[in-house]
Amino acid sequence: MRSKIDKILLIILLIAFLVSIYLIFQWVPQIKASNPAEQIAQRIFYFHVPSAWLGFMAFFVVFCGSVAYLVTRDRKYELISVASAEIGVLFISLVLITGPIWAKPVWGIWWTWDVRLTSSLILWLIYVAFLMLRRYLPDGSKRANLSAVVGIIGFIDVPIVYYSIRWWETQHPKAVMASSEGSLAAPMFFAFMFSLATFTLLYVYLIRKRYQLLALEDTINKQFKEMEIL
Amino acid sequence: MMSTAFSILKKDLRMEFRSKESILAMWIFSLLIFVIFNFTFEVSRLVMLEIAPGLLWVAFVFSGMFGLNQSFSMEKENGNLRAMALMPVDGGQIYVGKFLSVTIIMLMFEALIFPIFIIFYDLQLSLGMFMLIPVLLAGTIGFTSLGTILSAVAVHTRNQQILLSLLLWPLVSPIIIWSVTLTGMVLSGEMTEACYPLLVRVGAFDVIFFTLSYMLFDFILED
Repeated sequence: MRSKIDKILLIILLIAFLVSIYLIFQWVPQIKASNPAEQIAQRIFYFHVPSAWLGFMAFFVVFCGSVAYLVTRDRKYELISVASAEIGVLFISLVLITGPIWAKPVWGIWWTWDVRLTSSLILWLIYVAFLMLRRYLPDGSKRANLSAVVGIIGFIDVPIVYYSIRWWETQHPKAVMASSEGSLAAPMFFAFMFSLATFTLLYVYLIRKRYQLLALEDTINKQFKEMEIL
Repeated sequence: MMSTAFSILKKDLRMEFRSKESILAMWIFSLLIFVIFNFTFEVSRLVMLEIAPGLLWVAFVFSGMFGLNQSFSMEKENGNLRAMALMPVDGGQIYVGKFLSVTIIMLMFEALIFPIFIIFYDLQLSLGMFMLIPVLLAGTIGFTSLGTILSAVAVHTRNQQILLSLLLWPLVSPIIIWSVTLTGMVLSGEMTEACYPLLVRVGAFDVIFFTLSYMLFDFILED
């Protein structure tokens, strides 16, 4: 099962993570902020935003996998969407942990019911429910169908949830990439993109591993069943 | 073409009118929510007026879970769920039938609990309150359109009741947000033109999830 690609990926990942940690903590210049705590806390941004990006990407993969499963009935797609949902929950958990760590020194509070925070939390809840559903169902095509349906509904609901929560006043800093006055300085942009690429690679590695594991479980279960018949 | 849906609707409503199981349970449960809220949040009348719309929807949504859970769990007895799956009809038909029965039962329950709500929180009845009808209708349809399909998903699990809540509440949060805002506007008599776009949003949510559920329901029934 262990392929050469995984080994190479792992080595690249190790190097890339070391480099991005160096970039984030040593190379990137200190931001100008009146509050010294804010200067340090700002560096969490290089972990926080890539995690959020990966969470969304993972849930998009869940959606695609669910649609593909319902169309083709290929178990492969079911396993991909499950693997992706698990990783997505993991990364959104990271977002929900790193966010408050940053917010405490900068905003002075751990949590506020702002649109991004609230919608991330609801996003997390949707996909935790997705995983819980699978726990409560016996393995089989029924489980695959039901979770695919929830995977599709959940993903379509995500932008609507975001849109509806925007009703509350936002306290969250504007997206630095998008706004013109607050664009990132060149080294910061580079470090951010490097971190983003590293995280994306991590996602690729994790989903490959998780998928292989799930497929292996499948094979073992099948062999057990065959033995029971004999 | 919709005869299957109407047969299911007729069957469900007849069962409900004979036993009154869902409506009664929902009504009593809402009453309990009002009582418990009164103990847990001892607030002045002015604050009470501000949180009343939220309280009303908490009561609706929590009690609505009863109706949704009941809708498919009663089919589980005597293997009816399997029989439904075997029916040579479009799964969407079954969805429409179940959706209609749950929605009608929930609307009736809302109509029955609303007078109690008015009395408990000493709200002023006015002509403007008629605007609550479209608000409650649109909000309830949004809740039940998603609730029906998720109830059909949850009924296959060991832990149906808790799982339905876990699945449904995060997904219907937009409906709750918009409906509470709209209800607040109506109750405070500020039903201005600003709420029509909001009502359109709720309507759009209803249409999206009704259509999506209608299309996906076939996959839930099949084995």
